[in-house]
Amino acid sequence: MDDLEFRKRALANPHDTDEDFVAATSSSPERMQLVQEIQALDKRIVGTINAVAIPANLAARLKSHKPAASRPATSVWTSYYAMAASLVIAVGVILSLGLQSANPSAADLQLHDDALRHVYREEPRYDTAGNDLSWQQINAVITEAGGHLRDDERIKTMHIKFANGCRLASGTGAHIVLEGTKGSVSVLIVHSSPVKTRFDVNDPRFAGKIIPFGEGNLIIVGEKEEPLETYEALLTDAFEWVI
Amino acid sequence: MSDTPVLDDRHKKERYEALVDALYQDVYRYAYWLCKNGALAEDLVQETFLRAWRSLDSLQNDKAAKAWLFTILRRENARLYERYRPDIVDIEDQSIADLDENEPDQRLDRRMLHEAIATLDKDYREPLLLQVIGGFSGKEIAEILNLNNNTVMTRLFRARGKLKSIFIPGGDSDDDLDDADLEN
Repeated sequence: MDDLEFRKRALANPHDTDEDFVAATSSSPERMQLVQEIQALDKRIVGTINAVAIPANLAARLKSHKPAASRPATSVWTSYYAMAASLVIAVGVILSLGLQSANPSAADLQLHDDALRHVYREEPRYDTAGNDLSWQQINAVITEAGGHLRDDERIKTMHIKFANGCRLASGTGAHIVLEGTKGSVSVLIVHSSPVKTRFDVNDPRFAGKIIPFGEGNLIIVGEKEEPLETYEALLTDAFEWVI
Repeated sequence: MSDTPVLDDRHKKERYEALVDALYQDVYRYAYWLCKNGALAEDLVQETFLRAWRSLDSLQNDKAAKAWLFTILRRENARLYERYRPDIVDIEDQSIADLDENEPDQRLDRRMLHEAIATLDKDYREPLLLQVIGGFSGKEIAEILNLNNNTVMTRLFRARGKLKSIFIPGGDSDDDLDDADLEN
């Protein structure tokens, strides 16, 4: 097997177990080193491709043939036509419909306002926070709120810079801040009456979601265009109430 | 004697649910990397499994279910999504410029790889995704993509070669090689 053929096969499938490829690999130290390098890179590639967070309860929804709970019932394709016509208008409509169609109660709206006020108030504190917190520090705060975060490598690799207790809607809660793709992302888990249905945060600066979450509520607030559903999926997978 | 309609329905439901349990994660990952957007990926997966439910009887061998679902998903992506989606709408792409320099190395590495894979030419990215997520052989990928095996192997070579040139700098570059030469 010449070098070009060998190189082609090593890159096309570094885990090739065909006899001729295995023999060609062991024929020289340079070839062995090349395969080892590509296999090491491939491990990172596989890890990255498979690191995509799976939406919570997706299997259950597929079995019941129900549409995604996180978005309006209208087809996403229709939305894209609208977006092509006017992205700005579409975003505005979606934001305002998010609040209206969910039909939150007065208490739910109060939680919405309290949560935003809390995030704005705490921002100077978490903006100056430096080092990553340890898993124990994070779980200590979550335990105070009545929950527990199961070990999750995807969360552990995040830059979590702030964790503190909070009180919202007369309930105890945990306020965790991590570094997202667009800036800080606040995750508030509050042991309080769950909101009637999930709805979007309506704020000129932040995007966010308020989600009924078992014994309480999960509130995620980040900069506009932050992919919040990723954090929702991770938290939904890893968090459990222990009250 | 054949099953009653009730038993047929129950059998179909059980078969479908087993299919969902076994494959929904891989199908979602593939959908995500095809369209690079979580919400659209979920729509694609919903549509894929809905179509799978409707035509489950046409799946003769459950061992071929993954390739069958991936093929449905590709078709739905092309039908519903690729034709209409403006190229600029890519809200979940990671931007290297947004990264915090103090992030742990592992996180930075994963984000850079995420970006690099997401921006690979689609012709190169798709075979790589099918190999990594689907675990398909070159021959199986060729069948799914309706290509010949040599073309698939060349595209896999190109995909990893481009990632290697970014993440293992200093090695030989294969950019000057013609695809035609490689496929011979």
